[in-house]
Amino acid sequence: MNQTFPLKSWVKQQANRFAPALFFIGLVLLWELVCQVGKVPNYILPSPSAIITAFFNVEFSRWMTHLWATLRVALMGFVLSIMIAIPLSIGMIRSELMNRVLYPALIVIQSTPVVAVAPLIIVLLGTEDPSRVLITCLITFFPLVVSTTTGMLETPPEMIELSQSLRAPRYRETWQIRIPYAIPHIFSGLRVSITLAIIGAVVAEFVAAEEGLGYFIQFSTSFFKIPQAFAGLIFLSVISLLLFKSVQWTQAWFFPWSLPKKK
Amino acid sequence: MKAIVRLSLLASLIASTSLMAADKVTFQLDWLPGGDKAPVYVGIQQGFFAAEDLEVKIASGRGSTDALTKMATGQADIGTADIGALMAAKAIDNLPVVAVFPYFTKTPHTFITLKSSGITSIKDLKGKKVATSPFTSSNAFLPLVLKQNDLSEKDINLIKANPGALGPMMVSGNVDAVIAWVTNTAAFENQAKNTGKEIIEIPWSASGLSFYSSSLVASERFLKARPDVAKRFIKAFAKSVQFAYNNKEKAGANVHKMVPEVDADTAAIQLNDAYDLVYNEVTTKDGFGNFTTERILKTWKYVAEANGLSEDALDPTTAVNTSLTE
Repeated sequence: MNQTFPLKSWVKQQANRFAPALFFIGLVLLWELVCQVGKVPNYILPSPSAIITAFFNVEFSRWMTHLWATLRVALMGFVLSIMIAIPLSIGMIRSELMNRVLYPALIVIQSTPVVAVAPLIIVLLGTEDPSRVLITCLITFFPLVVSTTTGMLETPPEMIELSQSLRAPRYRETWQIRIPYAIPHIFSGLRVSITLAIIGAVVAEFVAAEEGLGYFIQFSTSFFKIPQAFAGLIFLSVISLLLFKSVQWTQAWFFPWSLPKKK
Repeated sequence: MKAIVRLSLLASLIASTSLMAADKVTFQLDWLPGGDKAPVYVGIQQGFFAAEDLEVKIASGRGSTDALTKMATGQADIGTADIGALMAAKAIDNLPVVAVFPYFTKTPHTFITLKSSGITSIKDLKGKKVATSPFTSSNAFLPLVLKQNDLSEKDINLIKANPGALGPMMVSGNVDAVIAWVTNTAAFENQAKNTGKEIIEIPWSASGLSFYSSSLVASERFLKARPDVAKRFIKAFAKSVQFAYNNKEKAGANVHKMVPEVDADTAAIQLNDAYDLVYNEVTTKDGFGNFTTERILKTWKYVAEANGLSEDALDPTTAVNTSLTE
């Protein structure tokens, strides 16, 4: 009797551990079954097996070319948005005037649909990387500004008062008190922004590009290669997921103290 | 002394290299690469442009308006676009772009339907569900082709959907017919074949809606600054068109070599589908690569009507520059 309890507990533990993977595999199998039994044509919903075949029908080097084109733009746009958003937030925290002047402008930028503006940006900046990076940056920087500003505003007032009473210079107040308090918020913003960066790069590729996963998906659709388009889409989602995880890993490595304590 | 000799040698080498360098031309496609866009790829692969001392870079486009904007703003020198879109843009905004060489001398618009639908003519579409993509230039000419067949837009149930969804909608019976370009017929045929069905094509040009369509267009700035380069480009392009349509398999392979995502076979089939748009009764009568004033006026008449513009809004002959092919 004593033997069965640890076994049961082990099975329960493993089931719990692999639950997300099992759920995902079950979903894919169900998808395949529906497509096979229901004889769903590829142009309506390609089966996972058709998507896998389409994936391997494209040369590996082509995948890498498209992946690099999208990743390059997404990462450049993401880095640019960090470079703009964090100093902007600091400026807005330190200057009431700057806050009043910039905040409405930022809201206007955020509420303008980038998809509608993208063709104009291409006309102004050309069809190379700069225009695509700007489009990506426009999509990604707003969540970062909001999260960084919110984080810095949540610094306990007594800490600020203490630093002021010790006559600490403003830059030390910002870098040693406000920014550390804002780290969890900044990383929340970064997690949102990194997935938006991929969306931004794809939007830009839809408007003007010669390579990239967005271009590849658009291309495949225009040639009615739906399983190939799905393969591109899934590849894109995997990349997005990996980038999201890499932001989490960065936070865990460099700022472990900023993570919520595990129960 | 040695240093002076070396420097002068280097300077003369740089000078001779720059003299030898080919003229750079940016070519703007009006859509993504494909079979009907083969000539420019053929020109590069077969060395027709190199023979004219040209180095051509190709940029893909997202429709005629996009291509024309890029040429007008100096991002591209020359390219392909619908002459109708060019005329409308010139009438509205005096766009500094002109057509220099006719490519499709007939309209590519067509209705595609399943053979089993019982639809054999445009008149049969009365009361039927027809799907089209939202941004195709065909939409502007739809009222005209319907009018020529004693119908109006009210007589059909028009649905707009993503271009990729049109074929599936038709094959699955959600719509009775779709509006497409004849260059895409093979793709629709394949989709229908997969479900054991056959399609038929009802080209609009057969019912009288026949005028210039896709053309080689160039920015006025490019023509003014580098007329000799433009002349050489047009000469090589004309050669490329002839080669592409006489050697479809080779042309398909040439496109595939530069854009691996395009299947060589599919590109060859698309060239075959587009053949009648390039070589037809118009080219037989007027000669290959020649614009005629009569057909330009006819084209503008239809374009003006389709876009709700006054015929006086543009002298259509100003939208064309034939001096470079003479």
